[in-house]
Amino acid sequence: MSANIIDGKAFAATVRQKVASKVADLKETHSIIPGLAVVLVGEDPASQVYVRSKGKQTIEVGMNSFEHKLGVDTSEEVLLALIDELNADPSVHGILVQLPLPSHVDESLVTNHIAPEKDVDGFHIANVGLLGTGQQSMVPCTPLGCLLMLRDYHGSLSGKNAVVIGRSNIVGKPMAQLLLNESCTVTIAHSRTKDLADVVRRADIVVAAVGRPEMVPGDWIKPGATVIDVGINRVDAGDSKTKLVGDVDYASCAAAAGAITPVPGGVGPMTIACLLANTVTACCRINNVSGEDFLL
Amino acid sequence: MTIKPLHPRHLLGEPIKQRILADVRDYVKNTSRMGKLVSIAIDGTAEVGVYIRNQAKVAANVGIEFEQQFWDRNITQGACKAIIKKLNDDPSVLGIIIQRPLPPHINVRLLQTTIHPLKDVEGMNPESIGNIVYSDIALAPCTAAAAIEMIKFLELEIKGLEVVMIGHSEIVGRPVAMMLIAEGATVTVCHNMTRSVAMHSRRADVVLVAVGSAHLVGPDMIKPGAVVIDIGINQQENSDGKIKIVGDVDTEAVAEVADWVTPVPGGVGPVTVAILMRNTVLAHQRQLQSIWREVG
Repeated sequence: MSANIIDGKAFAATVRQKVASKVADLKETHSIIPGLAVVLVGEDPASQVYVRSKGKQTIEVGMNSFEHKLGVDTSEEVLLALIDELNADPSVHGILVQLPLPSHVDESLVTNHIAPEKDVDGFHIANVGLLGTGQQSMVPCTPLGCLLMLRDYHGSLSGKNAVVIGRSNIVGKPMAQLLLNESCTVTIAHSRTKDLADVVRRADIVVAAVGRPEMVPGDWIKPGATVIDVGINRVDAGDSKTKLVGDVDYASCAAAAGAITPVPGGVGPMTIACLLANTVTACCRINNVSGEDFLL
Repeated sequence: MTIKPLHPRHLLGEPIKQRILADVRDYVKNTSRMGKLVSIAIDGTAEVGVYIRNQAKVAANVGIEFEQQFWDRNITQGACKAIIKKLNDDPSVLGIIIQRPLPPHINVRLLQTTIHPLKDVEGMNPESIGNIVYSDIALAPCTAAAAIEMIKFLELEIKGLEVVMIGHSEIVGRPVAMMLIAEGATVTVCHNMTRSVAMHSRRADVVLVAVGSAHLVGPDMIKPGAVVIDIGINQQENSDGKIKIVGDVDTEAVAEVADWVTPVPGGVGPVTVAILMRNTVLAHQRQLQSIWREVG
């Protein structure tokens, strides 16, 4: 048996398509153009690539993109003042501060300064609490992307045994909350888990988000299970070349699984697509416009 | 009230409660101008009355002023919010408690969200819950914190412990899960859509139950030597027509298998009110830190 490959690249394209048509609809019927503001502090090369890519995709779906590039020495005070401005700006519906921030800036202070309704990353403490209690909130992009792929593949997730490996604030914990909201029985496993192999073998759905290259071997996977690989690890590929691998050993896991996301081309492309979707969702809520369920 | 015979495997709440209250009493003794707790009840039912009287008694016992407010059943949601905002701004108010149940036209979540996080002694504001998800578990919903306090009393190493939480409510199940994950346990959350709760619970070192279903958990669901924390409160009518309070666990039968089981009544319940007092001390400390309150 070989697993169905869940093509994140293709699925992300359909999400962007839905976002684009919702944006067109908002323009036409409500004269609203959703806007995403991205704040970059410093010149970290990886962050610059992300920010450029986010800006480009934002414009491609017909939204307004506002980029704010600040020097690496920008004070906390100046950054907070910019966020105040963006919070008050009616043309901005989503605010994203690219992490990591320089060490002299308190990341959680900055994140919690963003108006919760414009917090398209879903990292504000109020959004975290709302998600944690099953209420309406902004949902972090990567776990949202995973959930959309799972829903698309399975339909209902109710009653399935899900194991989330990794308890990070940006993936593992929100992923567990989302799966609970879908009525999965959820186990959160991590580096302290005693018999991880045994725990993973119970799962109908495995979400791996630990950031350790190929740590999940195929014999941990229950035959037919769905494997979502959130890891992106760069490893040595010989001949002084490198390659990207996930947190699961793809070849052996694909042999056991019913469905699996590849790395690259699985969860990765979904993250920015979900950022765009979150911006539209925020825009609908802020303007009291119905139809934030455009992704369904 | 008849006193239950002491079973050697019953984990009783009273000594844990007294230990917490002793610390609180010390703190209050060394602090002037603590401020007062304000309890808000709407449409007082008999059940709520018992809770409030108990809280008032314990507060008096540790030296914390406790003001009981009873609001008219026809009060509007807007009026509730306005009064809570005034209490937020009132420096003589240390913490605010919303007694449940509320009449159907009042949204309890909205009131909990209105309470300032620094005065949220019940740990129910989304920001308080968000902090728990982000592993800052000091101020937690009282019942969830009480359940965990009982596990800690046994001096079990929580890191690596296999825990099954049966029930995924926002006040108990979910916060308990997040708190134990923060402490390094491997946590599985089961609920009414779980296919076989026994399959999960039989593997667990610690089983916690909060579903509100009398005697749901029997000995066949428990691993020998496990710890069972019963958070359920159910009313049962005896053959003689008298109402009896029972938990979600068949306590006597489970005590034959488990190392420890918390009885109902007399287990988690007494600890809960002690946690409310401890949260009050914590609120005082945080208000001092944030320069909300002058050192007195």
